[in-house]
Amino acid sequence: MASQRALPQSKESLLQNYNKRLKDDIRSILDNLTEIIKTAKVEDETQVSRATQAEQDHYEMHVRAANIVRAGESLMKLVSDLKQFLILNDFPSVNEAISLQNQQLRSLQEECDKKLTSLRDEIAIDLYELEEEYYSSRYK
Amino acid sequence: MANDRLRALEEVENQIATILQYAGNVVLELSKDKHNASFLDRQLSQVTGSVNRVATELSSQIRYLTQVATGQPHEGSTYSARKDCQMALNRAEYTRVKLGELGRTCEVMLDPQL
Repeated sequence: MASQRALPQSKESLLQNYNKRLKDDIRSILDNLTEIIKTAKVEDETQVSRATQAEQDHYEMHVRAANIVRAGESLMKLVSDLKQFLILNDFPSVNEAISLQNQQLRSLQEECDKKLTSLRDEIAIDLYELEEEYYSSRYK
Repeated sequence: MANDRLRALEEVENQIATILQYAGNVVLELSKDKHNASFLDRQLSQVTGSVNRVATELSSQIRYLTQVATGQPHEGSTYSARKDCQMALNRAEYTRVKLGELGRTCEVMLDPQL
């Protein structure tokens, strides 16, 4: 059996897309956080005035923080997509759930039928006694 | 088995939220005049640790899905067992109704005043 089954192109590309999204988002979080920390360092010599440099750094930090949040939300969306894909395509667990449910339903049905059968047998015995009593009486 | 994987993905979601929280703590600490270096180091190591855990777990889930996904819809069903069980319950209910009628008939016969 081949270790890598040939998936339909759509599923293959979908999983590759998930991998790409994961790598991009993780890289985005780490890079932007690193750049924020670098930008927090106050330089003694700047090409523009301190106020302008401070304003630029402030804006850059805002943008990078927004990028980190966007990457976090993108990761959440990826997790949601993975959950959906797992529920629909994880055949081993779906098979296990179906066989467990079938087993529970069949055992409930067998228990029900067993009790009905024993009830039938008891009523049959009582009916036999009642018939004997009735047919040996003067009311038959 | 499926529940374990779904629970692991929920744990990943919590970790993503903590990553953002720790990153926010780092930025908050950097905004102060005097930084607490040990606090910064701790928060940064937690960010990187959480990021690595998230990346590892999600990669493992994607790898598992690559192995088990077939691209075909699942055609399994519990309809047959469910139908049989429903019929058994209907038989039991019918028996209960009939025994109830028999019981009431016997009571009427034994006590004509009812």
